[in-house]
Amino acid sequence: MRAFEIMVYRQVKRFLRARSRVAGMIINPLVWLAFFGIGWSNAFRDTSIFGGVDYLTYLSPGIFAMTVFNQSFVSGISVIWDREFGFLKEVLVAPASRKETIAGRIFGDSAVATLQGAIILSLTFFIAKINLLGVISALGVGFVLAVAFSSFGVSIAARMRSMEGFQMIMALVMLPLIFLSGAIYPIAFMPSWMKALALANPLTYAVEASRVLLTGVSGIFPLYQSLLILLILTAVMLYIAMVSFERSTVE
Amino acid sequence: MGKRMYAIEVENLVKKFGDFEAVKGVSFKVRKGEIFAFLGPNGAGKTTTVHILTTLLKPTSGKAIVAGYDVVKDAKEVRKRIGIVFQDPSVDRDLTAYENMLVHGGVYGLRGRELKEKIEELLKFVELWEFRNKLVKYFSGGMQRRLEIARSLLHHPEVLFLDEPTLGLDPQTRAHVWSYIEAMREEQEMTIFLTTHYMEEAEKLADRVAIIDHGRIIADGTVEELKKLVGGDVIYLKVEDGAECFETDFGSCVVLPDGRIRIDVSNASEAIPRIFEAAEKEGIKILEITYHRPTLNDVFLHLTGREIRDEGGNLMKGITKARMRR
Repeated sequence: MRAFEIMVYRQVKRFLRARSRVAGMIINPLVWLAFFGIGWSNAFRDTSIFGGVDYLTYLSPGIFAMTVFNQSFVSGISVIWDREFGFLKEVLVAPASRKETIAGRIFGDSAVATLQGAIILSLTFFIAKINLLGVISALGVGFVLAVAFSSFGVSIAARMRSMEGFQMIMALVMLPLIFLSGAIYPIAFMPSWMKALALANPLTYAVEASRVLLTGVSGIFPLYQSLLILLILTAVMLYIAMVSFERSTVE
Repeated sequence: MGKRMYAIEVENLVKKFGDFEAVKGVSFKVRKGEIFAFLGPNGAGKTTTVHILTTLLKPTSGKAIVAGYDVVKDAKEVRKRIGIVFQDPSVDRDLTAYENMLVHGGVYGLRGRELKEKIEELLKFVELWEFRNKLVKYFSGGMQRRLEIARSLLHHPEVLFLDEPTLGLDPQTRAHVWSYIEAMREEQEMTIFLTTHYMEEAEKLADRVAIIDHGRIIADGTVEELKKLVGGDVIYLKVEDGAECFETDFGSCVVLPDGRIRIDVSNASEAIPRIFEAAEKEGIKILEITYHRPTLNDVFLHLTGREIRDEGGNLMKGITKARMRR
């Protein structure tokens, strides 16, 4: 377990050092909340579409999940930078289990992503009607979500040969997954083809679960079902990441 | 295990990347406790060989035993017993020197007081102890290299690989790094496998040198043995109007790309008067004549007709040259 533990340490330490980057990551969701959220909140007079809460409250758990998702996916994929700048080679020549090492990195990144989600949550608290009691459990959901997408990022990075495809992957993955998760509008109103895509998106279940926990509004699934699906998907994604990383070479 | 004589045994190692054969059947043995250098120009297959020996790449064919274990079948056993300083910097720039050591130790399963003592000892060894809490991104190239060397020693490897350990460092820093490598061998009793394209680095450090070019070892032995391949001395001539090898019974003669003539002779002081005589007879005017004891560069030139690369230690210069060659 030593390699796991030390990788968590490394990721958290690096995060604490890069304060300007942290600030940059928090600005994006704040822009969403302030300009997108408050703007639409005044336009939507009929709160019944959002399960009886104002739009800003409806959106807040979505923005929390989005923050965790963005952060964890980017850290996962940044394994490719580790390869470029040599740290990956260090790990690959070490006798430590590669599965364990990368799992440590993923959990460290997830702790960091969850912390960023927590910062956003504490800010939304002032503008939305957040249920305080649900915060701790929502952070737990955030952590599981972070493990899922940090793993997803690692799996992609393990298959990438250069950083050239990076922009394309970001464009292909980031925004579509957010729109298809019910973070911004209810899944119930989506056309059926879009709904099918949303149901295949792990982010959906994190959004659903944290919305129930934070605002009491439930979407299409009961809480336990969302949690169960999220956990299963996360376990599968973590396993794929560990295997992909184990097979990666410097070639 | 203690009786094993060789730290590295390589037999007919081949590595292909698609159609390109980077390593074309290399064989050599490195004795325990010696410094063995792979000397050759960029792209000769040095780094590829190191990557195979350190289990990062799988060979296409052939066999390699490092520290008593097969690099393919027992990769994990090999990994426990080797250390490596990569050609490209591989330090964590956002961590301090101390944290870099801590993380590396952790990845090798070290912990607690033993690890702390070892870190202190090694950071003192490379004279970075007073900078231990400084972020590595503020380190100079030489300091980063020293940190990488200290880090590679943390788990006390039997065999240490140094891939172009002084690439891009200024001559002073390079000499500094050399002194650590020499001290390391003495204090830590390990086998060191080094790749370089600086002939003076190989000359200064290595007990034995293998010269590698286009994926093949073209000569190996001690520096003295290799120099004997050239003969006694090397004479360089600059003549008026078109250089040609005008008389060849002195020894092997080549016209260099820069227009100079190079003659390998057994004894320069005897040969020079005879060269003057011969030149006069042919009506050739000698503008300049120099001679020196052969260097490893002369050996390379003698074997391949090309130079490894002029010295310089200037990375930019090296990069431009590498680009021009393409």
